[in-house]
Amino acid sequence: MKDTPLSNCERDFILKAIEEKKRLDGRQTYDFRRIKITFGTDYGCCFVDLGKTRVMAQVSCELVAPKESRPNEGIMFFNIELSPMASPAFEQGRQSELSVKLNRQLERCLRNSKCIDTESLCVVAGEKVWQIRVDVSMLNNDGNLMDAASVAAITALCHFRRPDVGIQGDEVTVYSPEERDPIPLSIYHMPISISFSFFQQGTFLLVDPCEREERVMDGLLMIAMNKHREICSIQSSGGIMLLKEQVMRCSKIAAVKVSEITELISKALLNDRTARKAGGRCGFAESMPQERITALKTDETLMETSDVTERANDIVEKAGAPPQTVPSPLVPAPGVGQVSQGQQNTWGLQEEDEDDDDDDDEQNGKETKMETEPQEEEKGAGDVVEISDSEEEEVVILTSETSGQAKNADSSSHQKRAAASKRRPKK
Amino acid sequence: MEVCESSKVSLREFGCEQNLLSRPDGSASFVQGDTSVMAGVYGPAEVKVSKEIYDRATLEVLIQPKVGLPTVRERSQEQCIRETCEASLLLSLHPRSSLTLVLQVLHDDGSLLSCFLNAACMALMDAGLPMSCLFCGVTCAINTDGQIITDPTAAQEKESRALMTFAIDCAKRRVLMSSTKGSFSVHELQQCIAVSQKASEKIFQFYRDSVRRRYSKNL
Amino acid sequence: MAGLELLSDQGYRLDGRKATELRKVQARMGVFAQADGSAYLEQGNTRALAVVYGPHEMRGSRSRTLHDRAAINCQYSMATFSTAERKRRPHGDRKSTEMSLHLKQTFEAAIMTQLYPRSQIDIYVKILQSDGGNYSVCVNAATLAVIDAGIPMRDYVCACSVGFVDETPLADLCYAEESVSSLSVALLPRGGQIALLQMDARLHQDHLEALMEAAMTACKGVSKVLDEVVRQHLQEAAVLNVCP
Repeated sequence: MKDTPLSNCERDFILKAIEEKKRLDGRQTYDFRRIKITFGTDYGCCFVDLGKTRVMAQVSCELVAPKESRPNEGIMFFNIELSPMASPAFEQGRQSELSVKLNRQLERCLRNSKCIDTESLCVVAGEKVWQIRVDVSMLNNDGNLMDAASVAAITALCHFRRPDVGIQGDEVTVYSPEERDPIPLSIYHMPISISFSFFQQGTFLLVDPCEREERVMDGLLMIAMNKHREICSIQSSGGIMLLKEQVMRCSKIAAVKVSEITELISKALLNDRTARKAGGRCGFAESMPQERITALKTDETLMETSDVTERANDIVEKAGAPPQTVPSPLVPAPGVGQVSQGQQNTWGLQEEDEDDDDDDDEQNGKETKMETEPQEEEKGAGDVVEISDSEEEEVVILTSETSGQAKNADSSSHQKRAAASKRRPKK
Repeated sequence: MEVCESSKVSLREFGCEQNLLSRPDGSASFVQGDTSVMAGVYGPAEVKVSKEIYDRATLEVLIQPKVGLPTVRERSQEQCIRETCEASLLLSLHPRSSLTLVLQVLHDDGSLLSCFLNAACMALMDAGLPMSCLFCGVTCAINTDGQIITDPTAAQEKESRALMTFAIDCAKRRVLMSSTKGSFSVHELQQCIAVSQKASEKIFQFYRDSVRRRYSKNL
Repeated sequence: MAGLELLSDQGYRLDGRKATELRKVQARMGVFAQADGSAYLEQGNTRALAVVYGPHEMRGSRSRTLHDRAAINCQYSMATFSTAERKRRPHGDRKSTEMSLHLKQTFEAAIMTQLYPRSQIDIYVKILQSDGGNYSVCVNAATLAVIDAGIPMRDYVCACSVGFVDETPLADLCYAEESVSSLSVALLPRGGQIALLQMDARLHQDHLEALMEAAMTACKGVSKVLDEVVRQHLQEAAVLNVCP
């Protein structure tokens, strides 16, 4: 599906507003939209709302063989999925230019800056290391996906706990969270990407562009930085001509924004930790706003199910028992074998014959009884409570029978074989 | 043997929020216990020529798993949901157009398919698409003792002998779609359907309440 | 890389260069006859081949046609034998797609695309041998190829990578130096405008200015070399034209 095109007058309006230092949502040029960070039920799941842009990150881990070039380092894998939910222009499973750009920037921001201690993810050097996978899904695109994705990814990494492992000799045991507390990743610093958009050949600069602004901008500059004012990556895109002074100015703004966001992330992480320690429930279900008119929630509801059984019985009875009659077998000409559905098997199989003629001894008779009984059970299934009671008695009898039969098992099989051999000449 | 204990027949607390995303034409999140799903609907919109159907709208359902790419499991669930939606949506009112329903797993704690269905219905309602009836999803599990558990958690699903999900319409409480796993008798199946129909009443009441709440204030 | 001394006490680098010294640049324009423009460029041990076709009518999907300017199509690839480890390099992996995108972005800024509306310019670049600074060498080679094709540009686009070791900016990095830290800049030297800026390193904000200054100086150095190559080429061509 194609994205809705932006009309010329809309474009002119936005540009004119920017020239007058005004923005559509009433922000100042260097203002960020409101950031909200919430966590999922399990570790390593994080939702970030940046204005109306919404992003989800989920971290998962698995034990894999390391890369040959780095036998004692864990593997980091990042994937930004542009879900078609976020925007009609996104298509599932297609590598668009935007997705390559976002993925590479996230990789550069989080992997190349070495913010995660990959050596601590090694379990057995050269054989087993942890692969940490970060999946970021876009849920709603209202501009500046990169910043939202980088905040979500680093927060989810900070929130994530991996299972503890023990090594005895050659064996690696992964402990479940009940056995041993899971371990957080060791993170050195938190790089956060900040986007700047340029308009009118770089004359105007905006922080955190929304979707409309992104459509009319000339170019974008993304600076990833941590709170120690260390730049982790810079990337310019779009056909703009930057001047050195502009880059320097952006890096100064980025430093301020990064320290604000880092504080917010650590506050959110702390809140979540205290909530989890207090044993309170957390997760998406809990974070749903209650006061909004569009939201509603009910408590656990019990259901009246007294007549369910009767209803089911009614239906089953009305439907009637499935026809028991087997389609009459075609009688083949003598000497013709036939195997097919619904027909009797006329290949000379001895066991079948035995079951059919019941002129045999008592043991054999018991055996067939044993086989038929469970079928009967199913037919009368669940009618009323009484039946189940009586069935239980039967079960007791059956078990005693089988134990009694076990002793005779040998002799009976002997007899069977004898009977079979007797019959063979008949045919 | 197959008598259900009333204590097991309950729905976990459930909730929903509509119109929470700005881009899609209709969106909803549905929560059942810890299981949560987000749904977004785009359409009716322009359709690709290759997918065009001359007398009705083309409905596409996409499921986005939480980790990794969609697998065969997601594809089969997409199919189930698509058929349910096609049965209730009046697609012939929008010929030569496309409807896209995207479902994102937020957390899976059992009864995922029924949660998908409920979220889908709420999102379709939010998008204002004409439907002949509403539908809801109910998952029933039969545990090894033969007890029926409605709206099971992931742990209960794992222990169960059979797992069934039904989509039920609101007009006549008929079954629109069923997806089953494991072994069970005809009687058990009928019992589960009856339980699901009971449960659907609660869910439809919830739909009605939430929509009433949403439109309770006039502008 | 901890054991490697990238900058000796005497101020010399691994390959004996000074901190601000560029590698030797050698280039030839017009290496292919059938292409509209082509160039071969060596910068130290990194070698690249660039070919330009166009401007011509839109090919492939017509939906990409731009009604007010030319569309630029770039493709970057690396030869199987370009690195120490022989490796099949499939088309369309993330890194090469990104590199193609960056090249496209750089040349969209530099080429006067508004002169050729509804047409297309193709730039194909192949790295034959890789020893650091792949992006820069590709840009430099492609610039020469575009000039060879006679497509008007605002200015030369010159690219260079710089690193930061022991508080000293190093210009034009080789592979060993690149893995530590690298900042690539594509510059239009006359106006001091940056067409592309990319950094892959952890660097304190205070050092950024010095590093960018060094990068721009290095780019200007490259531009001088490129200018010489172009003049030399034109002279040769003129001589050939005068006495056929």
